[in-house]
Amino acid sequence: MNVRLLRDATAVPPSGWQLLPMRFHRFDSDSVLLTNLVGEHLFVSPDQFLAVIDGTCNDQELLARLRARHLIQRPGDRLPAELLAVKLRTRLRHLPDSTGLHIFVVTLRCEHTCRYCQVSRQSSARSEFDMSQETARRALALAFQSPSPHLKFEFQGGEPLLNFSLLKWIVREAKRINRDHGKDLAFVIATNLALLDDEILRFCEEEDVHISTSLDGPADLHNRNRRRPGQNSWQKTVAGIRQVQDRLGPGRVSALMTTTEASLDRARDIIDTYVELGLRNVFLRPISPYGFALRLRGGAGYDVERWLRFYETGLDYIIDLNRGGLPTVESYAAIIARKMFSNQDPGYVDLTSPAGIGLGALVYNYDGDIYASDEGRMLAEMQDHTFRLGNVQTSSYEEILLNEKLLQPLAESFTLSAPMCHSCAFEPYCGADPVFHHATAGDFVGHKATSAFCRRNMGIFKALLRRARDDDFARDLFWRWGQR
Amino acid sequence: MIRLSGRATPVGLDGAILPDVWRVCRADQDGTGGALACVSTRRDIIGDQNRIHLAPHPGAAAPGPALKLGRGLAHIAEDDIIRISPDGSRVNVLWKNTAIHNSLLLTEQCDNYCLMCSQPPKTRDDTWLFEQAKRVVSLLPPTARILGLTGGEPTLHADALIGLLEHCRDTAPWLQLHLLSNGRRFSDFSFSQRYAAVGLRDIMVGIPLYAPEPGLHDFIVQAGGAFEETVHGILNLATLGQPVELRVVVQKHTVPVLPELAIFIARNLPFVDQVALMGLEMTGLARPNSAEVWIDPADYQAELADATLALASAGIVTKIFNHQLCVLDERLWPFAVRSISDWKNDYLDICDNCSVRDVCGGVFTTSGSRLSTALRPIQHQRQQG
Repeated sequence: MNVRLLRDATAVPPSGWQLLPMRFHRFDSDSVLLTNLVGEHLFVSPDQFLAVIDGTCNDQELLARLRARHLIQRPGDRLPAELLAVKLRTRLRHLPDSTGLHIFVVTLRCEHTCRYCQVSRQSSARSEFDMSQETARRALALAFQSPSPHLKFEFQGGEPLLNFSLLKWIVREAKRINRDHGKDLAFVIATNLALLDDEILRFCEEEDVHISTSLDGPADLHNRNRRRPGQNSWQKTVAGIRQVQDRLGPGRVSALMTTTEASLDRARDIIDTYVELGLRNVFLRPISPYGFALRLRGGAGYDVERWLRFYETGLDYIIDLNRGGLPTVESYAAIIARKMFSNQDPGYVDLTSPAGIGLGALVYNYDGDIYASDEGRMLAEMQDHTFRLGNVQTSSYEEILLNEKLLQPLAESFTLSAPMCHSCAFEPYCGADPVFHHATAGDFVGHKATSAFCRRNMGIFKALLRRARDDDFARDLFWRWGQR
Repeated sequence: MIRLSGRATPVGLDGAILPDVWRVCRADQDGTGGALACVSTRRDIIGDQNRIHLAPHPGAAAPGPALKLGRGLAHIAEDDIIRISPDGSRVNVLWKNTAIHNSLLLTEQCDNYCLMCSQPPKTRDDTWLFEQAKRVVSLLPPTARILGLTGGEPTLHADALIGLLEHCRDTAPWLQLHLLSNGRRFSDFSFSQRYAAVGLRDIMVGIPLYAPEPGLHDFIVQAGGAFEETVHGILNLATLGQPVELRVVVQKHTVPVLPELAIFIARNLPFVDQVALMGLEMTGLARPNSAEVWIDPADYQAELADATLALASAGIVTKIFNHQLCVLDERLWPFAVRSISDWKNDYLDICDNCSVRDVCGGVFTTSGSRLSTALRPIQHQRQQG
């Protein structure tokens, strides 16, 4: 046999390894989760974990795996730190772009009266709650100062189609301005679709505008949550979805659901409703602690644990749909899968660090006030102006982005330094939500031991990791979701 | 299987035959039937004797100076490129025009000493191989599409390699090149820059990676520090926008780490253009080391499937080479490539009844007795995914 270099010569020497930045979590009784700087993970037994930490491990196979996952290294190794740096740079490379999402609240008016509405909706007749063209012009000028090569304009309300003439003007004006900028533009209308008509469809077709709507599930559930005169919100929405699919193509409309207490036992029904409509992305979303939702009797009406049971039921159902050959995506899991199984950060504004406020999104309210996030605007409707960064009439781009009201929550909530976040094994998958913690705990950080944000997201992270560990099909599915 | 070298007998040829590399073309309108002629591009070298007639059958007559080819070389045909020894007694086929894969050996020297190397390294000076390669490239027919450049480790001779690549760029810019290298030399960024600066439009480096960490990789390639250099090399190539293929030879030591290696690639080298998972060729060092490297492919299907599906799920182009379909997990059929070089592939008698023989790569004729025990004819065309 021609072996010149023996196996021992290249392996990790006994007690001779160094720990790389590593975080851990007691996952279940017989396993500890280890994550490295960028979220690559490994499950080990509690005994293995202690032996690796105290230098007594002599399991060469385990040491090799830890070395492969950049959790330990042999003294003198240069490559692990370099590869970790490459991966971390990849993850953060979009940060200098900043602010890709610009939300225009073109009106507060709405003809729905949803139980969980986060906005101070106004009745349909009162035009003083519409955005003016002058306000929109100034907001556009600010948006185009963003260094991001991709700008997404999202129209919200209220029901933005109630101010369709301004919406049209903004889309065309943005495209006109963009002739001098050459950015990649995208437009989305967040609408309940009740007011959809031929003119609007034609406009969306000609101008390549995407539709995002709300669909809470089957008719009875949806109409219970989303009230409007005639109790026909579901019928209107479903008809609208079909019209958009027919006219503009199946990929041009997506839907979001909000989970109320009445939804909790109906995960499968909700998903089936989406599947029957040919909607392949289901976003299982909890209710937000803002706006009218807080005033619902008993708050959201359910706690994190009940919501997690609902989420896991839905997730398992979606995995099984895929197993049966029907490609369906749970959107929140897909966002997290990207963080877990790739080096990319999807830049989802509610789950990224530094937080997505301001850096990921700016909100231009109908009256010209500028907010760091949609939730920040909702707090303002409740007379809390913490996240108001300025007004389009008076504030420059620099004043908005360098406002202490933005920088302070960003700095305080940054997960690589925030108390309990920086040592959390799930940090690479998570994000900072200073608005949520301000609303629920009174400061930008909150106490992680009691934070519903933490419990909910850690529950989801564990649900995904457990399935990826125990079910090869789910693992490959999550990997695929992670590459989208 | 076809033979790439054999004996020849010169007839009516005086003195040494120069040059050494010839392209085969049809004989002129002299009615010699099946006879073929070799034509050098440089008429001046042997005066007006710039043609040597080839007689594929030893008995056939030729009109002038001729080379009678041994029986095994009767396949030599138009647009092949051959090397004739100065005394005319040996002929090597350097380019087989009808083959899908043609590779030029550039050196037998190597700074790795892989346990299963199919081309065991030698230390003797063989830089003439680069010069020969240049002459082959000069003679390539315009129909030539793909050329492999292999070793040994071609990058050990940096100047000669860069010179050859520049020659390819200038002489046959349409050619698709595939360079096999252990990648270590590319860890020198200035060398990577020289390589990229050649400016070839269609070249890919195939680099072997056997493990997700240095301990095992360095053992398999029998060279301390190789893993760090190889991965650095891959990163440098990526930085310079140069296409890279990773080649993983599936053998006894790599099987247990295949899933971990797949994850390592997906997380650390996701930019590679493709990953080739290659069955072991039982030749060269793999024979004396067979106890160290051989494993029946039937015994590693779970690991191979795990790694392949993980890589594919991560969006990485993944191909399985050198595996017979009857041994391969059916989920992996869509990834299987008919890859065994024409001159070394073969089918067994039991393959005659197989319904997927036509889409199967067959077995290495170099496999000797080490074939999977699971080889069997497949009786029905099964659904491919």
